[in-house]
Amino acid sequence: MALEKIVRKIPSSSWEATSERLIDIVLNSPNASKMPSGLAKTILYYWQRDQLATEVGLQRLLEASMIVDSEKTIDVLKELGLQELVTVLESR
Amino acid sequence: MINFGIEFVPRDLYWKTTFYAIQAEKTGFNTLWVTDHFNNRNVYVALAIVSAYTDKIRFGPGVTNPYMAHPIVTAQAVSTLNEIAPGRVICGIGVGDRTTLEMVNMKPFKPLATIREAVRIVRETTSGKNLEMQGEIFTVSGAKLNFRTANRIPIFVGAQGPKMLALAAEIGDGVLINASHPKVVENAIGFVREGAAKAGKRLDDLEIAAYTSFSIAKEPNKAAKSVVPVVAYIVAGCPETVLQKHRISIETATKIRQAIIRGKWKEAFSQITDEMVEAFSICGTPETVVEKIYSLVKVGTTQLVAGSPIGPNIRKSINMIAAEVFPHFENKEEKLHD
Repeated sequence: MALEKIVRKIPSSSWEATSERLIDIVLNSPNASKMPSGLAKTILYYWQRDQLATEVGLQRLLEASMIVDSEKTIDVLKELGLQELVTVLESR
Repeated sequence: MINFGIEFVPRDLYWKTTFYAIQAEKTGFNTLWVTDHFNNRNVYVALAIVSAYTDKIRFGPGVTNPYMAHPIVTAQAVSTLNEIAPGRVICGIGVGDRTTLEMVNMKPFKPLATIREAVRIVRETTSGKNLEMQGEIFTVSGAKLNFRTANRIPIFVGAQGPKMLALAAEIGDGVLINASHPKVVENAIGFVREGAAKAGKRLDDLEIAAYTSFSIAKEPNKAAKSVVPVVAYIVAGCPETVLQKHRISIETATKIRQAIIRGKWKEAFSQITDEMVEAFSICGTPETVVEKIYSLVKVGTTQLVAGSPIGPNIRKSINMIAAEVFPHFENKEEKLHD
């Protein structure tokens, strides 16, 4: 399933919290250098426009966090109670 | 009124520095400085991308030095940045970090003459002048940029010792006092006042920045732990007069510097004491930090630069400064007279 569809499974009430946690993963991961430069620039674009806690922003953050630390991303999504999202991500 | 500046070290990936720069702008920082060391990412490349993702915040090298980069190249770089972000560019210039200069066998010789001439070259070239100059250090014969700089670029001079502080006030638009302790900053402002008077300036004409090593966290020990590496670099590069003031032996500073040069980080950092952290940083909980900044404002600081490391988690620390420090300085005049 495409990330675009996956993020639609996040209820809007959880957008802010999910965004915050994913940003932390992306910024603090020891594998941060694995982030593709193009994706980094897209995230900066959405960050500048306060759109990281929107569907499009979350889509890019999720993509980035899965690249730099998929295990931690899954753990965080579980903590946030986004089990359906976890199942889809794990089956990809 | 005090402005808040923030410093980033482009040791981090470019997009992390840019992310924090956007965050700094959003949260209300007025000025952004990026350090210039050959072993980190290039300062002007970092600033170029920062300029593309920000709209209001002032920014510039903090600080570049005329030993590693000829001032004409600095003039070219800041003028180019000013084309991308007109009116937002500032230029910090100083003698540079002794430890990094030593790594490439550079000696900061004749610092006063070098800085005086470097500032003149940057100032005049960015003003569109065709510069002819026969200096003690630099000779420039008809140097002119082939493009126009739309506005005057303010120059801040980084300084620590008495003569450099006075010179900074004399030739700069601002002074970046490389200190964190209120008594040291107060003492430094005395020399700044002398330099300003010599140039017929009032102290109010100058922006006086305390360029601090800064670390904020809810737990004081976490704040202190993250500031130790920066304090090690500061002690390693300190002039003897400053070391003596803080009762630090030259031998200790030399040992720390040599350990850093050899990449023996543990050895270097293990020699940093609580007293050194207290002397060379603003470090602690939001309450502690607010008290320390008040002390700096009271002695005449007009810009507080929250320098590296900022905190154990940069993102959280920036948010903490915005939420728990800025509100104390929104009506500074009233509070100072309480």
